[in-house]
Amino acid sequence: MPLDTSTYDLALLRVDGRRWNELRRLHAQIRTQAAADGSSYLEMGNTKVMCVITGPSEDAGKRRGLAASAATAPGGSSAADVAVSIVVGGVQFCGSEEEGQGRQLQPPSVGARSSFRLFKVERIQELQATIAKALAANLHVHLYPRSTIGISLHVLSQDGSLLAALINAATLALVDAGVPMTDYLVACTAGSTSTHSAGDEGADPLVDLNTQEEQELPFLTLGTLGATDKVAVLVCETRVQVSRLEGMMASAADACKGVRNFLDQVVREKGHKMVTEGAVEKGASMAMDIDI
Amino acid sequence: MTSLKRSVDTDPFASNLSSKVYVRSTKNGKVQKIVREVYLRQDIPCSSRLCSKCIATAPRSAAGNVSPFVLSDKPAGTKAFPQGHYLVPDTNALLNAMDLFEQGSAFFDVVILQTVLEELRNRSLPLYNRLIGLTKSQEKRFYVFFNEFRLETYVNREVDESINDRNDRAVRHAVKWYNDHLGQTKSKDVPVTVMLSDDRGNLEKAKQDKVPAIRLRDYVSGLKDAERLLDMIAESQERVASKEKKAEFLYPEYFSLSKMMTGVKSGMLHQGIFNVSPYNYLEGSIKVPAFPKPLLILGRDNINRSVDGDVVVVEVLPQDQWKEPSTKIIEEEAITKNENADNDEDAADVVTEKERRALQEQVKKTQGLTTEGRPQPTAKVVGVIKRNWRQYVGHVDPSTVSQTARQGRKQESVFLIPMDKKIPKIRIRTRQAGELLGKRILVTIDSWDREHRNPVGHFVRSLGELETKAAETEALLLEYDVQYRPFPKTVLDCLPSEGHDWKVPTSTDDPGWKDREDLRGLLICSIDPIGCQDIDDALHARPLPNGNYEVGVHIADVSHFVKPANAMDTEASIRGTTVYLVDKRIDMLPMLLGTDLCSLKPYVERYAFSVLWELSPSADIVDVRFTKSVIKSREAFSYEQAQLRIDDASQQDDLTAGMRTLLMLSKKLKQKRMDAGALSLSSPEVKVQMESETSDPIDVKTKELLDTNSLVEEFMLLANISVARKIYDAFPQTAILRRHGAPPKTNFDELANQLKVKRGLELRFDSSKALADSLDACADTSEPFFNTLVRIMATRCMMSAEYFCAGTQSYPEFRHYGLASEIYTHFTSPIRRYADLVAHRQLAAAIDYEAMHPAVRARGRLEAVCKNINVRHRNAQLAGRASVAYYVGQSLKGRVAEEDAFVMRIFSNGFVVLVPPLRHRGPHPPARPRRPGARERLRRRELHPAPLRRLRRAVELFQKVRVRIRDVKDEATGKRGAKMELVAPAA
Repeated sequence: MPLDTSTYDLALLRVDGRRWNELRRLHAQIRTQAAADGSSYLEMGNTKVMCVITGPSEDAGKRRGLAASAATAPGGSSAADVAVSIVVGGVQFCGSEEEGQGRQLQPPSVGARSSFRLFKVERIQELQATIAKALAANLHVHLYPRSTIGISLHVLSQDGSLLAALINAATLALVDAGVPMTDYLVACTAGSTSTHSAGDEGADPLVDLNTQEEQELPFLTLGTLGATDKVAVLVCETRVQVSRLEGMMASAADACKGVRNFLDQVVREKGHKMVTEGAVEKGASMAMDIDI
Repeated sequence: MTSLKRSVDTDPFASNLSSKVYVRSTKNGKVQKIVREVYLRQDIPCSSRLCSKCIATAPRSAAGNVSPFVLSDKPAGTKAFPQGHYLVPDTNALLNAMDLFEQGSAFFDVVILQTVLEELRNRSLPLYNRLIGLTKSQEKRFYVFFNEFRLETYVNREVDESINDRNDRAVRHAVKWYNDHLGQTKSKDVPVTVMLSDDRGNLEKAKQDKVPAIRLRDYVSGLKDAERLLDMIAESQERVASKEKKAEFLYPEYFSLSKMMTGVKSGMLHQGIFNVSPYNYLEGSIKVPAFPKPLLILGRDNINRSVDGDVVVVEVLPQDQWKEPSTKIIEEEAITKNENADNDEDAADVVTEKERRALQEQVKKTQGLTTEGRPQPTAKVVGVIKRNWRQYVGHVDPSTVSQTARQGRKQESVFLIPMDKKIPKIRIRTRQAGELLGKRILVTIDSWDREHRNPVGHFVRSLGELETKAAETEALLLEYDVQYRPFPKTVLDCLPSEGHDWKVPTSTDDPGWKDREDLRGLLICSIDPIGCQDIDDALHARPLPNGNYEVGVHIADVSHFVKPANAMDTEASIRGTTVYLVDKRIDMLPMLLGTDLCSLKPYVERYAFSVLWELSPSADIVDVRFTKSVIKSREAFSYEQAQLRIDDASQQDDLTAGMRTLLMLSKKLKQKRMDAGALSLSSPEVKVQMESETSDPIDVKTKELLDTNSLVEEFMLLANISVARKIYDAFPQTAILRRHGAPPKTNFDELANQLKVKRGLELRFDSSKALADSLDACADTSEPFFNTLVRIMATRCMMSAEYFCAGTQSYPEFRHYGLASEIYTHFTSPIRRYADLVAHRQLAAAIDYEAMHPAVRARGRLEAVCKNINVRHRNAQLAGRASVAYYVGQSLKGRVAEEDAFVMRIFSNGFVVLVPPLRHRGPHPPARPRRPGARERLRRRELHPAPLRRLRRAVELFQKVRVRIRDVKDEATGKRGAKMELVAPAA
């Protein structure tokens, strides 16, 4: 087995050869499912997720029962609901509680050791609620009264920073679906190089953790709005010293900017390609921003 | 349609990305595939000071710091590499010769490759940790080069290539890269980067690839001091090459791991820690969960290469092979005296004739005697789960050194006789046998194969001449694993910069005064042994208007100076306790703190942690509170001075009045404790063994304890108990406490039985109170020492007290048997015990003085701390005793004395006696610094192996006998020991 995270100090290298402020290799595509309203595929290292959007569609009343984790924006039913469901390994976590209660499901993992950690239904529900709330606040849902935006996220393989990857994929797919939003909602994780109890003051922050790092080190997931430092999501489930939190959040915010630039580039390339291939009429409003 | 497939060349990272695939099996037997990413990069520096290229791209930490380059620009050269060299050891070199790399005289500028580090970690975690320790040392200049992450040095595993071959190739590749890389610098004398290996195949391939490489042994031969260093290469590798001739197996083969595991699971086999009897090296025992009494393991065959402390798996033998525990004293030196270390392979059988005879006699005996002692289950070792080998101190058996070796340089095998009797002789190969004779030396065990009668080890270091103070002291410290090196600079950096000039800030607005009570006005004094420098505790008492008394115990506020998780704290937690030897004190904390800044010296202001009670005149606690404070001790008394002052009726000042109040209250407290069933083990020897749980020492010259001793003791106990309650209330999961388990009833069976038969006395042991009372009754008016003897023997039946984390035990288990207290901790000696320091931090958090540091809160970590300090505590006691024993032994040198002694244990060929205080014997050891770790009045037990069939009937347990004690040095083995001879069974 390779070394663990304690060797960082020896040469300022992480377990996979990255520096503290480097993201893993990002790869993304949008409009991967021609039939869907919006879709995307995203890889952050070995964490691979897919997102499919249905809607916004005006049948909120009927569909609500099915929605797994729905968030309603302020303004009540006059705005669209955002319903998020997450699929891990082909089992959908949506709605029907009796089916999934207390069951543990194993994701189809290639990530190191990650498959030892089983996915609890409650955990998935928490992820769904977090994503739904964050998106509902960012999307201009008031434009779609009495409708639902269905977001279906598929975890294909998991190697750390899962929540961040899911948020990024959802953002991309929503861009593809043409749902107006304030800005890209992008997310990234940040950790700290020594454990909580070690109490090491000189610990470096780390960004974009893989599973091994998530298991050994304290970490948090931070989501920001585009190029700003506005925090939309902040999840921290491990114990970490308050003194290290600031550094971790600052580096996560920086990393989010990197992710935002990457997503933006993906969108622009796709748009450019669509224009050149004639999928969009020249002069249509959408093409205006491209190539600027 | 869109395709999800992406083309590789469009990805700018593709060439720099690789992945590692592992296959491993999980606990439930499934096979799992693990894929990890590896990011290859070009900015990993070579870390040579010669290189100007790498420094430009050197990595920066988040704070923007660049770690300085490690490898010297003018590395040392040897004959083979006159221009200087960097060393790159491969995994085998490190596995076989880690001791070499730790040498202070050679092996500088070493590059450790990531490949090697990973392999080493898989093979041996202790070695890995030692290597990591080396990379942190500044002088040694070890650099870890992450070759697996550097684009140029990364090596892909080829088809049909074994992982070992791939790793060897990676090492060669990295060495090659280093040479090419450094060749580009402009310097004239570019040092060569040399691969150090022991693997012949690897060396040959290196030659083909023109990679500089050298065999470890050849390299060491080229160094000065080669002979000494050569001995430190592990034995094992030699044999691979030289001795593949027919191997004759002396021992049964071990079971495979899986067989052992299934056996243990199904209950057919048992796992436990192997212990060797101190009286008989051929008898071991093992405590396993399945049986109430330990299983016996008799004879070399059954012991099957286990060494004291190993975790082994045993199989119970059929009932017809069950035996009584040995009734014989068998010492290894006596029986195997004439064995030749070199002839080892020729020995036809593992059990020599003599050994067999020794055991045989015993079998006969047990069969005849089935009525008296029931035979006990015996077992044989079928496998070793974990070796617990450490480094051993001993001396070379001179009889195994040939005459030629005393002058020449021929390599030969010699036996090392370890100081610890439980460890078998270790065979080492050396070229310097002549020089090692008469020296204390340190060795490690490398292996113990089936074809060797004794374990095989190698020489590590010489400590000096036998029986010289320096060598014996160091040997003791090593043997008991006491950290005695000076404090490193990182630790000293944690001390206050003012040094000895540090003072309590005069302004009460200073942050140091935050939440501190100003108790400078109180008449506080300390009472300690004469010459005490590290004053942990001070006391005061004063009457209150309502007729009650206010009593305060003030403890040095060490936690103010030692912050959690810094280097000093880490060092202290490793040391665990201060160790007191006869002529030396090995501090847990640097001197500056221990004897000055923390010490509650008189006439100066000091920070303290105070426990303040309101006690009623009958010494009941009305109220207790805890506070950090500033105090000014008025006087530092010795016990005698304090006693004199109290007794002197002409002294009528408030300070003396306070001391009298304390004395009055302490007597009442003591009475209450006794009524509750606390054990009073009046003899000082026993007191130390029992560990009186106080911070006050017994003065070496005090024959009887003064009242003032017990004064201090009582209040320390009270403080400890009060603090224990408080921290347990605040932190029911993590409070650090101390418990003393009730001894199992069976422990007392034999003693009680013997007392009844021989003396008609009854020993009751159903509670500590009953035991205390019946011990008092066990007296012989004609022989005052008899009572002490029984107490000593009773003490041996007891458990030892231990630190633990509150969450690991249920409340009833917290009980301290010896003190008859429900709950107990250590709080009063933070200068010399780490547990007290942790208790201080927890108490500070419990009274909201400061937030609890996570290191003190994490339960797993605390449990590890408890485990460590329990071991350290025990070792410190043993080391202290051994130190006294050594000094008394030295003072006995060349003398003959006749003494009264008491029989403690009878064997068929000898018995064990206890000789009461050898106090009047020769000059006293030099005055010890403080706190005698063991009694001055030495308990000497020695064997009496003389043939005394005639006398045997005359000797019985508890009997007083007269023995002649002589100091004898065995010319054959060079071992000194006291020989005793029975003169007459005294009346």
